[in-house]
Amino acid sequence: MKSMMKILARYVLSAAGIALILLTVNFGAMIAWIIQSKNVVQHTGDVAQLSDELTLQNGTYAISETALITIDNEYQWAMLIGNNGTVLWSFHLPADVPLHYTLSDVAGFSHWYLNDYPVHVWRRTDSLFVLGSEKGSIFKHGIEAPQSAMDNVLVWIPATLILNGMVAVLLALLFSLRFFRSLKPLAKGIEDMAENHPVTLSTNGILGPLASEINQTSEKLVRQEAALKTRDNARTTWIAGVSHDIRTPLSMVMGYASQLENDPELAPAKRKQAQIIRSQSERIKALVNDLNLASKLEYHMQPLQKDTVLLAALLRGVAADFINGGLPDMFSIEVEISREGQNTAVEGDEKLLKRAVSNLIGNSIKHNPEGCAIKAVLSKNESVCTLSVSDNGVGFRPDVLKSLKLPHALIKLQAHGLGLTIVRQIVKIHSGTVAFHNLPQGGCETILSFPLHCV
Amino acid sequence: MNNIFDCKLLLVDDEPQLLEMLRSILRKEGFQKLIAATSCLEARRLFATERPEGVILDVTLPDGDGFSLMREFREQSAVPVLFLSARDEDENRLLGLGLGADDYMTKPFLPRELSLRLKAILTRTYFPAVLTQKAKPVFRLGQAEIDLNSGTVSTKAGQLTLTAKEFTLLKKLYENRGNIVTGDSLCRAAWDDDLYGYENTLMVHIRRLREKIEPEPSAPQYLLTVRGLGYKLTGAEDT
Repeated sequence: MKSMMKILARYVLSAAGIALILLTVNFGAMIAWIIQSKNVVQHTGDVAQLSDELTLQNGTYAISETALITIDNEYQWAMLIGNNGTVLWSFHLPADVPLHYTLSDVAGFSHWYLNDYPVHVWRRTDSLFVLGSEKGSIFKHGIEAPQSAMDNVLVWIPATLILNGMVAVLLALLFSLRFFRSLKPLAKGIEDMAENHPVTLSTNGILGPLASEINQTSEKLVRQEAALKTRDNARTTWIAGVSHDIRTPLSMVMGYASQLENDPELAPAKRKQAQIIRSQSERIKALVNDLNLASKLEYHMQPLQKDTVLLAALLRGVAADFINGGLPDMFSIEVEISREGQNTAVEGDEKLLKRAVSNLIGNSIKHNPEGCAIKAVLSKNESVCTLSVSDNGVGFRPDVLKSLKLPHALIKLQAHGLGLTIVRQIVKIHSGTVAFHNLPQGGCETILSFPLHCV
Repeated sequence: MNNIFDCKLLLVDDEPQLLEMLRSILRKEGFQKLIAATSCLEARRLFATERPEGVILDVTLPDGDGFSLMREFREQSAVPVLFLSARDEDENRLLGLGLGADDYMTKPFLPRELSLRLKAILTRTYFPAVLTQKAKPVFRLGQAEIDLNSGTVSTKAGQLTLTAKEFTLLKKLYENRGNIVTGDSLCRAAWDDDLYGYENTLMVHIRRLREKIEPEPSAPQYLLTVRGLGYKLTGAEDT
């Protein structure tokens, strides 16, 4: 919804911007039009100048040649009316223009039209100079406004502009609110879709086609999700099935080998061979169990028994189990728990977390047949607790280390088994992170970090 | 019935070869009366006619499942049942035990473990007295003799009585003698709580315990501290 608000705000602002730009453009266009229309009829001589050209010489009126050309080009006709109303002089006077005028006639045309001819008038001392243009060539209109209104024009113009802007913003807000309301279910639908919920939106209104497309996409996603789940399920079931089926024959291998191993009638060498068969069968059992667990963890089929787990107790317990289980003397396990780490609790599956730590310690033992010193450290800061297991042994092989640093999806099954893959999976389902590296002084270290549940 | 080996055992599994192996394992252990079935139907018939004293049961059977078969048996008698299943999921284990099975083992299994567990449940069912006798042991730590029945420590100097907490701690350590017992487990046993906050209390009780059982409490020989983990009781000799 936050992103929707952002979109809304941006929409309102841009709408207001558009309104203001339009206003400016219109204003500019108007000015341009006015200037341009003035240029269309360019009067080189206005009515005053032309009037001055007309002079009384020896009782008759005379006008210069250039003035006549100007009148001919830019107007149509001209005349001079004496104070008594009689035309004293004229040039190209049309037939429908009278030669005598009363006072009211003059008042009638002085600013407007004379028999539909647009006219310009200039007052001389003893007469009236009239220039006539072609009919229909000029539009005339008188402008009249109260003085007080004109006085405030500098206040009115900006006020109008501001008002325009405000109205534009208000309208934009109104429209965008309507738009927002119709977009809201769509946004919710997209959010739901991202979380893999099925989406069914109403397909009415202007956004109907969009909604129906979202519905279709969601349907497709749900179908794909279901197909993926079926496939994952099939794979896990298949692995579980295989590991189930292998158990009964393996029981017999292990059972008979174990009996032979303990048979006093057999030669010691044969009993030793039987012991190898038995111990290798136990390895197969462990591998099958690992494979089963890894596949269940990978496809989220492993039921989690979540509880509050005290990591310090868990670590001590695992270390004690290893030592009590008969750890050879060339190995040592040291547990170091910081003062803050003592009561560290995480929300998780105790059995799986124990498994992760056991796998790490077991790995150190398995890969260092000459013995090594193993150290498990638990510490904590405000938001994370870290649990590290390190040793001073041979360290991770470079290729193993490389593969362990790959993103989860790309990890490949290694020849060394599933132990570390399972560690990664267990950490992942506990929303933690895991880092593997070799130590400069020799040996390796694995650091598990978990978000803190409570203090 | 004089001992557990007189028990008649019914073995149920759909795999005849596995039944054969079970027979050989159990015969070697000393069980003589063994009958076997490969289906629910056969098992039901044998159960009715032979009245076995113990049952080893597979979960997956061709004509039904072991869980419901056990329920049927239990309606007729309190016969001890040990599940031997190829299903290792916790739910199955818990389901089996929840239904009242005496034990649940997963395949593949070690013959030794099977016979030990079987003997344990048969003893528990038919000879419980043997267990109660063994329950409260008496043992020696060097010169001191500890009697967990009376909760006393007897030395040449005289007899000392253990407090309730000291008794609980020593009992827990003795049950796991030779092994490390974490501070967490000791705390659970004595105070039914997490170790956090009890570290000093535990230390004080261990010191008092040492004063009673060790000839030289400041240099303990029997009740040892395992740094960072917990404590360990060594050198205990059963009397």
